[in-house]
Amino acid sequence: MAQPLVKKDDDRDDEAEYSPFLGIEKGAVLQEARVFNDPQLDPRRCSQVITKLLYLLNQGETFTKIEATEVFFAVTKLFQSRDIGLRRMVYLMIKELSPSADEVIIVTSSLMKDMNSKTDMYRANAIRVLCRITDGTLLTQIERYLKQAIVDKNPVVASAALVSGIHLLQTNPEIVKRWSNEVQEAVQSRAALVQFHALALLHQIRQNDRLAVSKLVTSLTRGTVRSPLAQCLLIRYASQVIHESGNTQTGERPFYDYLESCLRHKAEMVIFEAARAITELSGVTSRELTPAITVLQLFLSSSKPVLRFAAVRTLNKVAMTHPMAVTNCNIDMESLISDQNRSIATLAITTLLKTGNESSVDRLMKQITNFMSDIADEFKIVVVEAIRSLCLKFPLKYRSLMNFLSNILREEGGFEYKKAIVDSIVLLIRDIPDANESGLFHLCEFIEDCEFTYLSTQILHFLGNEGPKTSDPSKYIRYIYNRVILENATVRASAVSTLAKFGAMVDSLKPRIFVLLRRCLFDSDDEVRDRATLYLNMLAGDGIVSETGKDVKEFLFGSLNVPLGNLETSLKNYEPSEEPFDINSVPKDVKAQPLAEKKAPGKKPTGLGAAPTGPTSTVDAYEKLLSSIPEFAGFGKLFKSSAPVELTEAETEYAVNVVKHIYDGHVVFQYNCTNTVPEQLLENVSVVVDASEAEEFSEVVSKHLRSLPYDSPGQTFVAFEKPEGVAFGKFSNVLRFIVKEVDTSTGEAEEEGVEDEYQLEDLDVVAADYMLKVGVSNFKNAWDSMGDDCERVDEYGLGVRESLAEAVNAVINILGMQPCEGTEVVPSNSRSHTCLLSGVFIGNVKVLVRLSFGIDGPKQVAMKLAVRSEDPAVSDTIHEIVASG
Amino acid sequence: MGLWESFLNWLRSLFFKQEMELSLVGLQNAGKTSLVNVIATGGYSEDMIPTVGFNMRKVTKGSVTIKLWDLGGQRRFRSMWERYCRGVSAILYVVDAADRDGIPISRSELHDLLSKHTLSGIPLLVLGNKIDKSEALSKQALVDQLGLEQIKDREVCCYMISCKDSVNIDVVIDWLIKHSKTAK
Repeated sequence: MAQPLVKKDDDRDDEAEYSPFLGIEKGAVLQEARVFNDPQLDPRRCSQVITKLLYLLNQGETFTKIEATEVFFAVTKLFQSRDIGLRRMVYLMIKELSPSADEVIIVTSSLMKDMNSKTDMYRANAIRVLCRITDGTLLTQIERYLKQAIVDKNPVVASAALVSGIHLLQTNPEIVKRWSNEVQEAVQSRAALVQFHALALLHQIRQNDRLAVSKLVTSLTRGTVRSPLAQCLLIRYASQVIHESGNTQTGERPFYDYLESCLRHKAEMVIFEAARAITELSGVTSRELTPAITVLQLFLSSSKPVLRFAAVRTLNKVAMTHPMAVTNCNIDMESLISDQNRSIATLAITTLLKTGNESSVDRLMKQITNFMSDIADEFKIVVVEAIRSLCLKFPLKYRSLMNFLSNILREEGGFEYKKAIVDSIVLLIRDIPDANESGLFHLCEFIEDCEFTYLSTQILHFLGNEGPKTSDPSKYIRYIYNRVILENATVRASAVSTLAKFGAMVDSLKPRIFVLLRRCLFDSDDEVRDRATLYLNMLAGDGIVSETGKDVKEFLFGSLNVPLGNLETSLKNYEPSEEPFDINSVPKDVKAQPLAEKKAPGKKPTGLGAAPTGPTSTVDAYEKLLSSIPEFAGFGKLFKSSAPVELTEAETEYAVNVVKHIYDGHVVFQYNCTNTVPEQLLENVSVVVDASEAEEFSEVVSKHLRSLPYDSPGQTFVAFEKPEGVAFGKFSNVLRFIVKEVDTSTGEAEEEGVEDEYQLEDLDVVAADYMLKVGVSNFKNAWDSMGDDCERVDEYGLGVRESLAEAVNAVINILGMQPCEGTEVVPSNSRSHTCLLSGVFIGNVKVLVRLSFGIDGPKQVAMKLAVRSEDPAVSDTIHEIVASG
Repeated sequence: MGLWESFLNWLRSLFFKQEMELSLVGLQNAGKTSLVNVIATGGYSEDMIPTVGFNMRKVTKGSVTIKLWDLGGQRRFRSMWERYCRGVSAILYVVDAADRDGIPISRSELHDLLSKHTLSGIPLLVLGNKIDKSEALSKQALVDQLGLEQIKDREVCCYMISCKDSVNIDVVIDWLIKHSKTAK
């Protein structure tokens, strides 16, 4: 008896540095296994050998078929020993070796004997092994014993049978389902583990019958479950029932009351499980949340790390949906920032960043600074991202946040981490004008000592675009030219481009830039020399003809007006010949599908990579495209181009989408067509538009498309004249073309074509088409400065709506305006909401809208609409739009 | 004094205790498990279930402890008999003497088993069971039909027994005790 005890102590002491099994070899152990065949068995010795074998198996060592068979049969001989410890090892070994079915059957009789033995340990373990190796036919033979075992008075035996039942349910459900009565009896057991296992099995037996589960939970929540583990299970089942019953529960809510009562349980496990279940209820109200948050708050100051972790992790999740509910815990969480466990600390920080208010930002930043130095990069990135969103939430706090970012930028860190920081700074510079200069300065400092070529070139590019616009561009020149002296060729080349941009934009700097660029002519890298030569010639050309200055700027700053993907395909198809490659031959249209994806809402461009592209560039591209068509040149300035609207179902013969271009007095529909039939060539493609439901519009020009080969997008245009300002209408469209058969093997089309038509979906010109989404960083300031001269206020009833969020979205979509300060998100279950919108209306009139929503019991939604704009007529128009929408 | 006496007895039993290991094989329903029961307890039951795998029994007769590996006789177990016959003191081959159709199969299984080189030299005791039935073979017929005469490399013995009526069981036990090795 003393022996195993001593051994246990040894194990614990030596665990860290020394394992008694270190370096044992399979071959040697298999030799040792011969002791199993000794006529005089030494149980202790045999147990040790089995332990070694198990150790090897668990270390991933594999036995060959022959080895495994030998060991297995040798182990079966150990059934002759009555030593309880050895028998236990024999059971383990049989389970672990899991020999093939035709061999393992040899132990069946012995196990069945053990299953009916007087020794509880034999009974329990034999049941587990037998159920592991059994098949359907044998199971029916032993079913009687298993049913008895489930209600055995020894908890170990009962648990073994119940757990085996859970396993068997996968393979022989119909047999296990017959045990319901016994399992139900076991649920009432006084033994904690038996109750737990019985509840799990009972639920699994009934899991596909929703009503039965509901009944089970109802009866058990009345309080016969004593075991904390079973209680936790019951909580999970209860929340599952609540979830499945939807929100139809009215009046009496027994299940929620049960969850709430579990918050007062004495076991921490149960309290936590209940609190988590409550926070995860769909559509939980803040009143329901409060008690759960309160107990989680207590856990935050627990001495057990696991409780602190569990609580802070749950609160972190809650903070995403109900930030206000978590604010009470902020003080407790702040103390967790210095927690020894880094997982707890990181969760605490990110939760705080989600819930913090403007006044706590400074304090929080101070604490994070101390903490940043000792967490891993991936945690740091989480923190940086949290800070980025915080900064956009509280633009006024940019100073301290920017300082923080620049400080951590100076510290050691990997590429991903640095990129996250740089991206955040760039985002701040772009969104918060005040942060511009200090942000650029921090970036300049960073590239002085930056080991990542990618980041250096990106920053130089950004600097070239933003730097010249600042009050004192000259101070950046030193940083940029340092790159030319110190860095590798790639960075030097970008630095040269950046210098040229400064030269082009800032006349006072031009002579100095010339000097610097001339020095670059002697660079060792040809790309750098080429760039320097190119820019010198271009900049020198300026001043002779005033127009060249504009060209230079366009060349330097303009983005490539062809999609890179198309350029790449064209270059691949280009065969070297006398004729030079013509960039104009590259199709300018992206295929309908990717374009729609790119413009998908919610995918905001963030950071450097997406910086120069983004929505403006597509508008630019449209503008260029349209102004190149003489018929449209006289329409004036393009006000807005809509996102492409699909006019065909996906995967039809012809894919067509339309972009609506709005001018002051005209509308141009650009139909992007793609022919997806390889055997067809379409010619003379046009869209016939019926504007009978759009009285104010009259067609002026229709530009057809000469030919539309397979899988190469093309456009056709239709232009309408409309009254100045706003006009609405519905247009029906038919695609008309001549179709010619194409021999796919030769690629040649037939001479004769057939005229054909293809019905497209209708198209509407709506109010949102006349509104540009332009955000403001501080709505209140903008609102106040607009004054109430042109304010129009009115109230509307929106009728019955599914939810407040749905009503808010509907109004935002009708107006097509930019939601500000995240007010488009409606907290679930709130009864009222205020949404702030901003935009620019046609005629370049700034518009701000404040929407106040309220919802009552039968889901009637009422809205108060306050509009301020620079023109009272526009304010009235907005009201008209809403009234008619 | 009694204490001393019992201590001496215990010591003596330690040194003079004899031990033997036996394997019981044979076709299914030959009466192997019944034989074990009869040897161990003297009881007999008509109602037996087939042995799935093996039964391990320890029986003490006088100063001899017998370990009995009673193996299942169904076809799927026959290939595994050999593993449990290695190194035993004797192999007991039980035959249902009343099952005349089964004798040829029994004969071929026996000869297959004995051809294994791991089992060479181990004494064989063939038991013709169920002589209480009228159709049971005679001893000579059994010896002939099983081809026991051809077995030359080991000691072979054959008894006709009845577990039901406990006929000749004492002869079997005597034979076993005679063949037990002295432990240590």
